[in-house]
Amino acid sequence: MESSRIIYEGLQAIICQSELGCRASRIETLEELSVMLETTKVDILIANPLLFVNREKDIRKIRKSNPTLSVAGIDFGIIQKQSMLTDISFTLYDSAEHIIHTLEKLERKNQSPSQLKSESDNLTRREIEVLTGLVNGMLNKEIAEALNISIHTVVRHRKNITAKTGIRSQSGLTIYAISKKIVEIEDIEI
Amino acid sequence: MRMADLIDANPNLLLMLQHFNIDFRVSDQTVMQLCTGKGISENLFVSIANLYNGFGTKGHEPFTSEDLLQVIEFLKSSHDYYRSDKYPQISSYIRQLQEDHSEKELRLLEKFFNEYFTEVLDHLDYEDNVAFPYFITLLDKEQNVEEGEVYSSKEYSEHHTDIELKLQDLKNLLLKYVTIEGDLDLRRRLFFALYELEYDLYIHSLIEESILIPSGVSIEREQNV
Repeated sequence: MESSRIIYEGLQAIICQSELGCRASRIETLEELSVMLETTKVDILIANPLLFVNREKDIRKIRKSNPTLSVAGIDFGIIQKQSMLTDISFTLYDSAEHIIHTLEKLERKNQSPSQLKSESDNLTRREIEVLTGLVNGMLNKEIAEALNISIHTVVRHRKNITAKTGIRSQSGLTIYAISKKIVEIEDIEI
Repeated sequence: MRMADLIDANPNLLLMLQHFNIDFRVSDQTVMQLCTGKGISENLFVSIANLYNGFGTKGHEPFTSEDLLQVIEFLKSSHDYYRSDKYPQISSYIRQLQEDHSEKELRLLEKFFNEYFTEVLDHLDYEDNVAFPYFITLLDKEQNVEEGEVYSSKEYSEHHTDIELKLQDLKNLLLKYVTIEGDLDLRRRLFFALYELEYDLYIHSLIEESILIPSGVSIEREQNV
């Protein structure tokens, strides 16, 4: 989802020449995305996050009804913090290899839940999202807002995470998340 | 029963002797002889030994003020053991592990431990400087305890739970998640040290919960009536 033809065609070339083995289609608005999702399975949405501005609710809705959709944001250096709306981001100056690597990571995340299960001590996708928020130092309230769920639900997810991993403290969970490659160590301040 | 036989059956009792400030060379003394010689009531000694041996303290006689003062000395001595023996030992193992291995998680693990250690030190200081003096005042019948101070006993057991939980995290991280190649000697030493610490911390909180706090509460009740 990007209105610039230069950017779209550049990304398309990178993706098609890679071994990702996927098809790319270009859309310009969220409405077009909704229409497309009705008929086509979309694994990864690569989007200019500027198009998300003031549309947070719509995006959450789309993500809710398409739980396997991952979102990669193109980082133009304008939006400082990685938005919770995107799963991952890259900049236009990243090498082609880096961009492919980033997308591959997303693809792995997308793989069947059973595969995800065995890798992460049966944490559900939602629990992994809550864990990622926790590890990034977000408060329960902030996680609730970002994921569009109640604080009560966040607390329940946290309890489940602890029950499944055996780790209670936030700093302990950070190490867990890194060991399990749920987050990258580079993202954590040491 | 001779003390030497008891130690043979459960070497962890050596740690108990140390916390009671009793030398390990117990000769052929029986428990009763040992207690009499050291001025410790057999009731107290056996109650704590039972905890170390995995039994409860049920059925013991009520503890005297003198017993409880000795319990506090015992707990203080175990603080010294944590502060200057066990935690520094664990800390040096983790340091070594971090130096030997390039995995970045180990840097975080060391940070985790150091922060945890600082919390533990704070807690030990708190007990030494606030909680124990409170109990000592409570045991001194001449002085009245001001209302509100009573809550420090509660607060104090909550602190402990925290300490045990983080230790649990550390063990789980090492047992289940953090990848380290080889170095089994060092890692085993680290595990043994963690389990030794965990065991003594567990007994420590049992002593507080089953001996010190209930006795303190009943004294509080007497004084308030």
